[in-house]
Amino acid sequence: MASSKLYSDDVSLAVVVVDTNPLFWATAALPFADFFAHLIHYVNSLLLLNHLNHVVVIAAGLSSCTYIFDSSDASASGAADVAATFAKASRKMDEFIAEDARATSSNGSVADGNAASLLSGALSLALCYIQRVFRSGTRHPQPRILCLQGSPDGPEQYVAVMNSIFSAQRSMVPIDSCIVGTQDSAFLQQASYITGGVYLKPQELNGLFQYLAAVFATDLHSRTFLRLPKTLGVDFRASCFCHKKTIDMGYVCSVCLSIFCKYHKKCSTCGSEFNRVMPDLNSVPDQRQ
Amino acid sequence: MPQVMVVARNFMDMVAALPAAKLDMLYDSAFICEAVLRSLPPLAKKYALQMLYVSAPVAAAAMEEWVLDEYAAKHRVAIDRLLQLRVFVEVRDRRKEVSYKMNQKFQGNMQKYLVDGGSLPREPIPSSVTARLPTLAELESFALEQWECFLLQLINSSQVERGTSFSSSMMRTFQRGLLSSRDGEAPRLTENGFQFLLMETNAQLWYIMREYISSAEERGVDPTELISFLLELSFHTLGEAYSLNTLTDVQRNAIRDLAELGLVKLQQGRKDSWFIPTKLATNLSASLSDSSSNKEGFVVVETNFRMYAYSTSRLHCEILRLFSRVEYQLPNLIVGSITKESLYGAFENGITAEQIISFLQQNAHPRVADKIPAVPENVTDQIRLWETDRNRVDMTLSHLYEDFPSKDMFDQCCDYARDHGCLLWEDAKKMRLIVRVEFHSEMREFLRRLR
Repeated sequence: MASSKLYSDDVSLAVVVVDTNPLFWATAALPFADFFAHLIHYVNSLLLLNHLNHVVVIAAGLSSCTYIFDSSDASASGAADVAATFAKASRKMDEFIAEDARATSSNGSVADGNAASLLSGALSLALCYIQRVFRSGTRHPQPRILCLQGSPDGPEQYVAVMNSIFSAQRSMVPIDSCIVGTQDSAFLQQASYITGGVYLKPQELNGLFQYLAAVFATDLHSRTFLRLPKTLGVDFRASCFCHKKTIDMGYVCSVCLSIFCKYHKKCSTCGSEFNRVMPDLNSVPDQRQ
Repeated sequence: MPQVMVVARNFMDMVAALPAAKLDMLYDSAFICEAVLRSLPPLAKKYALQMLYVSAPVAAAAMEEWVLDEYAAKHRVAIDRLLQLRVFVEVRDRRKEVSYKMNQKFQGNMQKYLVDGGSLPREPIPSSVTARLPTLAELESFALEQWECFLLQLINSSQVERGTSFSSSMMRTFQRGLLSSRDGEAPRLTENGFQFLLMETNAQLWYIMREYISSAEERGVDPTELISFLLELSFHTLGEAYSLNTLTDVQRNAIRDLAELGLVKLQQGRKDSWFIPTKLATNLSASLSDSSSNKEGFVVVETNFRMYAYSTSRLHCEILRLFSRVEYQLPNLIVGSITKESLYGAFENGITAEQIISFLQQNAHPRVADKIPAVPENVTDQIRLWETDRNRVDMTLSHLYEDFPSKDMFDQCCDYARDHGCLLWEDAKKMRLIVRVEFHSEMREFLRRLR
C-alpha cells in the first residue's frame, strides 16, 4: 500500500447520524436549536483539522432518512464559509423535519411517545456512502460513523440494525455513539462494542461540543495512542423475530439463528420444522420377531 | 559524502523560529491560526481542539494521562510542537509545577472561527469593475505555464529561452542553494537543485517560499510580514480578483514576485489593478502538513525498464531526462528507458535512488497507481543495486606506514592516529597502519619525537 502513504495518517471521513425524532426533542433537556449549533461547530472543527477531511450528516426521522450535509459539495474554500454552511444545513434540516412529519402522518400510524427514529435506515445510508468511497480507489479518507441518538431503541428494527452493525464490522468502520437522551441504547452499545467505536453518554448536555471535540473528533490513527472512554457494560439482549420485543431468554432456530420468545413448530424465517417424531426403537425387535 | 536533504527543514520550523512577540502578532489573523493548526501532527491537533474552550491552565501531569503510557514519546512530540509554535504556553505556579494554557489570541480566533466563521482576508473586486476575468481553466494553465517556465529556467539556466527573465530578487532566491554561479561560468544546478526538481510541487513551492523569506532580511523586509501574507494568500478564493490598493508596499512587491511563479495573475484595468490567486496559491496552506496533492500521475514503468510518460509537458521530459534515456518525444507521449548509464548520471548529480523511485511512484499513471507496487519491483530493486554498486568503493587519499622497529612504537603510533580520528586501517600482526594523507606530516613529527 505504498500509494496510501501519500495520504497523511489523520485524513478522515466522518458520517454523522443525527436523531431528529420530534417526539424526543419536544421533551429533551437541551433544545434542538442548541443541539444543532453544537453539531455544526463539531462539523466545522473536523473540516478545520485537515483540508482533506470529509464530513457527511444524515438525519434520521420517524419515517425517513436523508443526507442533509456533504462537505464535498461545499466550495473550494471549505470551512472558511462557516456561516453559509450553517444556513444551508439548517434549511435542509428544516425541510427534512417537515417532510418526515408529513410522511409519518400519511402512514396512518399514530406515533406514541416512545416511537423510535429510523436508526437502521440511517446506518444503511451511511454504509452505502462509505462503500462508494471505498470503491473510488485505494486513496481515501479513513471512514467512521458517529450516531447522535436521543430516542429509545425500536425493537422492531433489531434485525436491520444488527445487519448494519455486522456490515460495518466487516468493512472495519467503527461506529461511535453519543447518547443525548436519558436512556442508554442497547443497540448502540452493541454497535460500538462490536465495531471498536466509542460509546458515551455525556453527563452534561450543555457541554456537548466539548464531549464531541474531546472524544469523537479524534482520528482513527490517533485513537491507538489515547485513553478513550470505555463502556462499563453492554446490554446484549436481543429482540424476538415474532413480536419484535426485547427478550432475556428465548428460542433459537438451529438453522438460521432466528430468535423467538415462544416455542414454534416451524421457523417463520427459514421454514424449518421443529416437531419431527423420532423413530420408535422399541418397534424394531418386534418386526424381527 | 553526506546527503544533504533539501526537505530536511520544513516551512513551519521557520515559523516556529520566530520570536514570541512576532508569533503572537501572526495569530492576530484567524487564517494563520488555521494554517498553523493544520500543520500540526495529528495528536497535537487533537490537543489543540480539546483545549479550544478551556481557559484555565491544565497541569502537564494531567495531560500525560490523556495518552497510554507506551506512547509517552508521541505525547512529548505533540506538546513540544504546540509549545514551539506558541499554540500552548507554559505556565509555572508557585510550587514550580508545569501547566499548559492555550495562547489566548489563537484560542479566541479559533473559537470565533468555529462559531461565526471567518471573514475573507479581503473582499473581491465586483465583476462590474473587472469585466472579464480568466476562467478557472485559463487560470490553471497560466499557473502551470509560469511554474514550468520557472523550473525549466533552473534546468536550462545557461540558455535563456523565450526571452523570459526573472526579477533580481527571484534570481537571488534561485541562487541560494539551487544554482551555483562561479565567475565567468554559466550557472549550473547544484546537488540540491537536482533534488529539488524531483520533489513534489507543493514541497517545491514551500522550499522557494522559505528561501524567499530567508532572503527577505537581506532586502530589508520583515520576514513576519511576508509569512503572514503568504499564509493569508492561501485563504483567498480561487479565481476572484483582489485590488492591489489593499496591499502594503511589501505585499505589493511580493505579489509581483509571486506572479512570476504563477501563484497569482496580475491584471490591469482602466483605473485599478488587481491580482487573481491561482490553485498554486490556494494550495499553500493545504500543503503545510504532509498531505498529498491530488495531482494525477503520468508515468508507466514496465518490467523491461521501458518508461512511458503520457504528458504534453516539456518540463516532464527534462525531468525524466535527469535519470533516464529519453528516446522519443511525441506530442503527448514521452518514451524512454531506465538504463545504468542514465542513472549513473543522476547519481553523480547528487540524486539518490530513493528520490528517483519516490518520484516514479508519486507520479504513477492512474492505471498503474493502484497496483501494488506501482513501479515494478525488479526496476526499483535494480535502481537501488546500481546505486550501491557505485557506492561500493570509496576512495580516500592515505599514507601507509610499515617496518616499525618495535611493537611499542607501533602501538603508540596507532593510538596517536586514532586519537586524532585519522586512523583508517591497522594490521597489528605485521605492524602496518594507514592514516589519512593530511595527517602524514603530524605523524612524521610524532615519529621524530619518539626516536
